[in-house]
Amino acid sequence: MANPNTKFLVVDDFSTMRRIVRNLLKELGYNNVDEAEDGVMALAKLRSGNFDFVVSDWNMPNMDGLTMLQQIRADPALSSLPVLMVTAEAKKENIIAAAQAGANGYVVKPFTAATLDEKLSKIFEKLEKAGG
Amino acid sequence: MVNAIDEQLATNLYFDKTFNCEAAKILPGEYYTTNRDIVIVTVLGSCVSACIRDRVSGIGGMNHFMLPEGSPADANNPISESARYGTYAMEVLINQLLKGGARRENLEAKIFGGGNVLSGFTSINIGEKNAAFVRKYLKNENIRVVGEDLNDVYPRKVYFFPRTGRVLVKKLKQLHNNTLITREETYAKKLKTDKVAGDVELF
Repeated sequence: MANPNTKFLVVDDFSTMRRIVRNLLKELGYNNVDEAEDGVMALAKLRSGNFDFVVSDWNMPNMDGLTMLQQIRADPALSSLPVLMVTAEAKKENIIAAAQAGANGYVVKPFTAATLDEKLSKIFEKLEKAGG
Repeated sequence: MVNAIDEQLATNLYFDKTFNCEAAKILPGEYYTTNRDIVIVTVLGSCVSACIRDRVSGIGGMNHFMLPEGSPADANNPISESARYGTYAMEVLINQLLKGGARRENLEAKIFGGGNVLSGFTSINIGEKNAAFVRKYLKNENIRVVGEDLNDVYPRKVYFFPRTGRVLVKKLKQLHNNTLITREETYAKKLKTDKVAGDVELF
Protein backbone atom coordinates (compact mmCIF):
# COMPACT_ATOMS: atom_id res chain seq x y z
CA MET A 1 0.00 0.00 0.00
CA ALA A 2 2.74 2.41 0.96
CA ASN A 3 4.50 3.97 -1.98
CA PRO A 4 8.12 3.69 -0.89
CA ASN A 5 9.08 6.61 -3.11
CA THR A 6 6.89 9.08 -1.24
CA LYS A 7 9.28 11.78 -0.11
CA PHE A 8 8.67 12.90 3.47
CA LEU A 9 9.93 15.90 5.39
CA VAL A 10 9.89 15.43 9.17
CA VAL A 11 9.96 18.75 11.03
CA ASP A 12 10.69 18.74 14.77
CA ASP A 13 13.11 20.62 17.02
CA PHE A 14 13.89 17.47 19.03
CA SER A 15 16.34 15.16 17.28
CA THR A 16 15.04 12.26 19.41
CA MET A 17 11.53 12.83 18.08
CA ARG A 18 12.72 13.18 14.46
CA ARG A 19 14.43 9.84 14.87
CA ILE A 20 11.26 8.25 16.23
CA VAL A 21 9.11 9.57 13.37
CA ARG A 22 11.73 8.54 10.80
CA ASN A 23 11.80 5.01 12.23
CA LEU A 24 8.02 4.78 12.41
CA LEU A 25 7.83 5.79 8.73
CA LYS A 26 10.49 3.22 7.92
CA GLU A 27 8.41 0.58 9.66
CA LEU A 28 5.49 1.58 7.42
CA GLY A 29 7.65 1.16 4.32
CA TYR A 30 8.62 4.77 3.69
CA ASN A 31 12.36 5.14 3.34
CA ASN A 32 12.64 8.48 1.57
CA VAL A 33 12.71 10.80 4.57
CA ASP A 34 14.48 14.09 5.15
CA GLU A 35 14.48 16.19 8.34
CA ALA A 36 14.30 19.83 9.37
CA GLU A 37 14.53 21.26 12.86
CA ASP A 38 12.22 24.25 12.55
CA GLY A 39 9.75 25.92 10.21
CA VAL A 40 12.32 28.18 8.57
CA MET A 41 14.61 25.31 7.66
CA ALA A 42 11.62 23.24 6.54
CA LEU A 43 10.32 25.92 4.15
CA ALA A 44 13.78 26.29 2.62
CA LYS A 45 13.95 22.52 2.04
CA LEU A 46 10.40 22.32 0.72
CA ARG A 47 11.05 25.11 -1.77
CA SER A 48 14.16 23.46 -3.13
CA GLY A 49 13.12 19.79 -3.16
CA ASN A 50 10.28 17.70 -4.48
CA PHE A 51 8.59 16.68 -1.27
CA ASP A 52 5.31 14.75 -1.25
CA PHE A 53 4.41 14.92 2.42
CA VAL A 54 5.19 16.94 5.55
CA VAL A 55 4.98 15.57 9.11
CA SER A 56 5.46 18.48 11.49
CA ASP A 57 5.64 19.29 15.18
CA TRP A 58 3.85 22.41 16.46
CA ASN A 59 6.12 24.01 19.08
CA MET A 60 9.47 24.93 17.56
CA PRO A 61 11.83 27.91 17.83
CA ASN A 62 12.29 30.37 14.92
CA MET A 63 9.07 29.34 13.19
CA ASP A 64 6.45 27.06 14.71
CA GLY A 65 4.51 24.39 12.85
CA LEU A 66 1.32 26.41 12.52
CA THR A 67 3.07 29.41 10.94
CA MET A 68 4.93 27.03 8.62
CA LEU A 69 1.64 25.42 7.62
CA GLN A 70 0.11 28.84 6.87
CA GLN A 71 3.10 29.74 4.71
CA ILE A 72 2.87 26.44 2.84
CA ARG A 73 -0.79 27.09 2.07
CA ALA A 74 0.00 30.65 0.97
CA ASP A 75 2.76 29.54 -1.43
CA PRO A 76 1.30 28.57 -4.85
CA ALA A 77 4.12 26.06 -5.42
CA LEU A 78 3.48 24.28 -2.12
CA SER A 79 -0.16 24.98 -1.33
CA SER A 80 -1.46 21.49 -2.11
CA LEU A 81 1.24 19.67 -0.13
CA PRO A 82 -0.28 17.34 2.49
CA VAL A 83 0.71 18.30 6.04
CA LEU A 84 0.20 16.11 9.11
CA MET A 85 0.65 17.83 12.45
CA VAL A 86 2.11 15.64 15.20
CA THR A 87 2.21 17.43 18.52
CA ALA A 88 2.18 17.06 22.26
CA GLU A 89 -0.66 19.63 22.36
CA ALA A 90 -4.02 17.95 22.78
CA LYS A 91 -5.94 21.20 23.36
CA LYS A 92 -9.06 21.67 21.30
CA GLU A 93 -8.14 25.21 20.26
CA ASN A 94 -4.85 23.94 18.80
CA ILE A 95 -6.63 21.26 16.81
CA ILE A 96 -9.15 23.78 15.50
CA ALA A 97 -6.39 26.26 14.60
CA ALA A 98 -4.53 23.53 12.71
CA ALA A 99 -7.67 22.51 10.85
CA GLN A 100 -8.44 26.13 9.94
CA ALA A 101 -4.89 26.63 8.69
CA GLY A 102 -5.36 23.68 6.35
CA ALA A 103 -3.70 20.75 8.12
CA ASN A 104 -4.61 17.41 6.56
CA GLY A 105 -4.50 15.66 9.92
CA TYR A 106 -3.51 15.96 13.55
CA VAL A 107 -1.94 13.32 15.77
CA VAL A 108 -1.17 13.70 19.47
CA LYS A 109 2.12 12.36 20.84
CA PRO A 110 3.13 9.77 21.92
CA PHE A 111 1.64 7.98 18.93
CA THR A 112 2.31 4.51 17.53
CA ALA A 113 3.16 3.27 14.05
CA ALA A 114 -0.42 2.04 13.78
CA THR A 115 -1.81 5.49 14.55
CA LEU A 116 0.50 7.10 12.04
CA ASP A 117 -0.37 4.47 9.44
CA GLU A 118 -4.09 4.99 9.94
CA LYS A 119 -3.70 8.72 9.61
CA LEU A 120 -1.48 8.56 6.52
CA SER A 121 -3.80 6.09 4.77
CA LYS A 122 -6.79 8.35 5.40
CA ILE A 123 -4.95 11.34 4.00
CA PHE A 124 -3.75 9.46 0.88
CA GLU A 125 -7.27 8.11 0.36
CA LYS A 126 -8.77 11.59 0.51
CA LEU A 127 -6.12 13.01 -1.81
CA GLU A 128 -6.78 10.27 -4.35
CA LYS A 129 -10.50 10.98 -4.30
CA ALA A 130 -9.92 14.70 -4.64
CA GLY A 131 -7.49 14.10 -7.48
CA GLY A 132 -10.20 12.11 -9.24
CA MET B 1 -10.91 8.51 22.37
CA VAL B 2 -8.33 5.97 23.30
CA ASN B 3 -7.31 5.74 26.92
CA ALA B 4 -4.07 7.60 26.42
CA ILE B 5 -1.29 8.44 28.79
CA ASP B 6 -1.13 12.11 29.41
CA GLU B 7 1.48 14.08 31.32
CA GLN B 8 -0.28 16.33 33.79
CA LEU B 9 0.68 19.73 35.09
CA ALA B 10 1.09 19.42 38.86
CA THR B 11 -1.65 21.13 40.83
CA ASN B 12 -0.45 20.59 44.38
CA LEU B 13 0.84 23.99 45.54
CA TYR B 14 1.54 24.80 49.19
CA PHE B 15 3.64 27.03 51.41
CA ASP B 16 6.82 25.29 52.54
CA LYS B 17 7.71 26.32 56.08
CA THR B 18 11.24 24.91 55.94
CA PHE B 19 12.24 27.06 53.00
CA ASN B 20 9.80 29.86 53.70
CA CYS B 21 8.57 29.97 50.14
CA GLU B 22 5.88 28.63 47.87
CA ALA B 23 6.27 25.03 46.77
CA ALA B 24 4.88 22.84 44.02
CA LYS B 25 4.78 19.14 44.74
CA ILE B 26 4.86 16.83 41.76
CA LEU B 27 3.76 13.20 41.57
CA PRO B 28 4.62 10.43 39.09
CA GLY B 29 3.44 11.43 35.61
CA GLU B 30 3.35 15.12 36.45
CA TYR B 31 5.53 18.12 35.64
CA TYR B 32 5.71 21.74 36.69
CA THR B 33 7.40 24.82 35.25
CA THR B 34 7.67 28.32 36.69
CA ASN B 35 9.39 31.67 36.33
CA ARG B 36 8.80 32.46 40.01
CA ASP B 37 11.15 32.01 42.94
CA ILE B 38 9.60 28.87 44.39
CA VAL B 39 10.71 25.34 45.17
CA ILE B 40 9.58 22.27 43.22
CA VAL B 41 9.50 19.12 45.32
CA THR B 42 9.17 15.46 44.55
CA VAL B 43 9.96 12.05 46.02
CA LEU B 44 11.58 9.54 43.69
CA GLY B 45 11.98 5.81 43.94
CA SER B 46 12.83 4.14 40.65
CA CYS B 47 11.32 7.09 38.78
CA VAL B 48 13.51 9.86 37.43
CA SER B 49 13.20 13.63 37.43
CA ALA B 50 14.88 16.07 35.12
CA CYS B 51 15.27 19.55 36.65
CA ILE B 52 15.77 21.81 33.66
CA ARG B 53 16.26 25.58 33.69
CA ASP B 54 17.31 28.48 31.54
CA ARG B 55 20.50 29.59 33.26
CA VAL B 56 20.00 33.17 32.04
CA SER B 57 16.34 33.86 32.79
CA GLY B 58 15.87 31.40 35.68
CA ILE B 59 12.75 29.85 34.16
CA GLY B 60 12.77 26.23 35.19
CA GLY B 61 10.80 23.09 35.73
CA MET B 62 10.80 19.47 36.74
CA ASN B 63 9.15 16.30 35.52
CA HIS B 64 8.77 12.92 37.21
CA PHE B 65 8.33 9.76 35.19
CA MET B 66 9.36 6.18 34.54
CA LEU B 67 9.46 4.20 31.34
CA PRO B 68 6.76 1.62 30.74
CA GLU B 69 8.01 -1.90 31.29
CA GLY B 70 9.06 -3.29 27.93
CA SER B 71 10.99 -6.24 26.63
CA PRO B 72 14.79 -6.17 27.10
CA ALA B 73 15.16 -5.75 23.34
CA ASP B 74 13.46 -2.36 23.66
CA ALA B 75 16.58 -0.70 25.04
CA ASN B 76 17.98 0.10 21.61
CA ASN B 77 14.74 0.36 19.74
CA PRO B 78 13.99 4.03 19.06
CA ILE B 79 10.29 3.38 18.53
CA SER B 80 9.60 1.10 21.49
CA GLU B 81 6.84 2.07 23.87
CA SER B 82 9.51 3.07 26.41
CA ALA B 83 11.37 5.37 24.06
CA ARG B 84 8.21 7.01 22.79
CA TYR B 85 6.81 7.63 26.25
CA GLY B 86 10.10 8.87 27.73
CA THR B 87 10.65 11.20 24.80
CA TYR B 88 7.16 12.54 25.23
CA ALA B 89 7.61 13.10 28.99
CA MET B 90 10.80 15.08 28.33
CA GLU B 91 9.34 17.03 25.44
CA VAL B 92 6.28 18.15 27.38
CA LEU B 93 8.52 19.69 30.06
CA ILE B 94 10.95 21.34 27.64
CA ASN B 95 8.17 22.70 25.41
CA GLN B 96 6.51 24.24 28.44
CA LEU B 97 9.81 25.93 29.38
CA LEU B 98 10.30 27.26 25.84
CA LYS B 99 6.72 28.54 25.77
CA GLY B 100 7.44 30.33 29.04
CA GLY B 101 10.32 32.15 27.39
CA ALA B 102 13.29 29.85 28.06
CA ARG B 103 15.85 29.60 25.29
CA ARG B 104 17.02 26.21 24.20
CA GLU B 105 20.71 27.14 24.09
CA ASN B 106 20.52 28.33 27.73
CA LEU B 107 19.06 25.10 29.08
CA GLU B 108 20.91 23.07 31.67
CA ALA B 109 19.74 20.01 33.56
CA LYS B 110 20.21 18.18 36.81
CA ILE B 111 18.91 14.63 36.92
CA PHE B 112 17.86 12.50 39.86
CA GLY B 113 16.34 9.19 40.85
CA GLY B 114 16.37 5.81 39.21
CA GLY B 115 17.02 4.05 42.50
CA ASN B 116 16.66 0.29 42.57
CA VAL B 117 13.91 0.48 45.18
CA LEU B 118 11.29 -1.80 43.72
CA SER B 119 13.39 -4.94 44.06
CA GLY B 120 11.44 -8.04 43.22
CA PHE B 121 8.94 -5.86 41.42
CA THR B 122 10.50 -6.62 38.07
CA SER B 123 13.28 -8.76 36.72
CA ILE B 124 15.14 -5.84 35.20
CA ASN B 125 16.43 -2.88 37.17
CA ILE B 126 13.84 -0.34 36.10
CA GLY B 127 15.58 2.48 37.97
CA GLU B 128 18.76 1.99 35.99
CA LYS B 129 16.82 1.88 32.75
CA ASN B 130 15.08 5.16 33.60
CA ALA B 131 18.36 6.86 34.51
CA ALA B 132 20.07 5.64 31.35
CA PHE B 133 17.22 6.96 29.24
CA VAL B 134 17.35 10.48 30.69
CA ARG B 135 21.13 10.68 30.29
CA LYS B 136 20.99 9.54 26.70
CA TYR B 137 18.06 11.81 25.85
CA LEU B 138 19.76 14.95 27.19
CA LYS B 139 22.97 14.04 25.40
CA ASN B 140 21.15 13.59 22.09
CA GLU B 141 19.33 16.88 22.54
CA ASN B 142 22.53 18.74 23.50
CA ILE B 143 21.23 19.81 26.89
CA ARG B 144 24.09 20.09 29.36
CA VAL B 145 23.85 18.00 32.53
CA VAL B 146 25.36 20.02 35.37
CA GLY B 147 24.51 17.68 38.21
CA GLU B 148 23.14 14.25 38.89
CA ASP B 149 22.39 11.78 41.64
CA LEU B 150 21.15 8.56 40.08
CA ASN B 151 20.71 4.86 40.78
CA ASP B 152 21.77 3.34 44.16
CA VAL B 153 19.05 1.66 46.23
CA TYR B 154 17.47 4.57 48.11
CA PRO B 155 14.44 6.69 47.41
CA ARG B 156 15.19 10.42 47.26
CA LYS B 157 13.38 13.60 48.15
CA VAL B 158 14.40 16.33 45.72
CA TYR B 159 13.99 20.09 46.20
CA PHE B 160 14.66 22.14 43.07
CA PHE B 161 14.98 25.94 43.13
CA PRO B 162 14.66 26.89 39.45
CA ARG B 163 15.56 30.54 39.97
CA THR B 164 19.08 29.66 41.17
CA GLY B 165 19.40 26.09 39.96
CA ARG B 166 20.11 24.87 43.47
CA VAL B 167 18.97 21.34 44.27
CA LEU B 168 18.81 19.62 47.64
CA VAL B 169 18.58 15.85 47.70
CA LYS B 170 17.70 13.86 50.77
CA LYS B 171 18.28 10.11 50.53
CA LEU B 172 15.52 8.36 52.39
CA LYS B 173 17.25 5.48 54.10
CA GLN B 174 14.15 4.55 55.99
CA LEU B 175 10.63 4.83 54.69
CA HIS B 176 8.02 5.41 57.37
CA ASN B 177 5.24 4.03 55.27
CA ASN B 178 4.52 2.43 51.96
CA THR B 179 3.15 5.50 50.17
CA LEU B 180 6.07 5.96 47.79
CA ILE B 181 6.24 2.32 46.72
CA THR B 182 2.48 2.07 46.29
CA ARG B 183 2.38 5.28 44.29
CA GLU B 184 5.11 4.08 41.91
CA GLU B 185 3.51 0.68 41.53
CA THR B 186 0.17 2.28 40.68
CA TYR B 187 1.89 4.52 38.14
CA ALA B 188 3.78 1.56 36.63
CA LYS B 189 0.51 -0.38 36.36
CA LYS B 190 -1.18 2.55 34.67
CA LEU B 191 1.64 2.74 32.13
CA LYS B 192 1.25 -0.96 31.53
CA THR B 193 -2.51 -0.95 30.97
CA ASP B 194 -2.89 2.37 29.18
CA LYS B 195 -1.93 2.55 25.58
CA VAL B 196 1.15 4.65 24.87
CA ALA B 197 -0.57 6.35 21.99
CA GLY B 198 -1.98 9.77 21.42
CA ASP B 199 -5.51 10.52 20.35
CA VAL B 200 -6.24 10.64 16.68
CA GLU B 201 -8.17 13.69 15.62
CA LEU B 202 -10.05 13.37 12.41
CA PHE B 203 -11.06 16.27 10.26
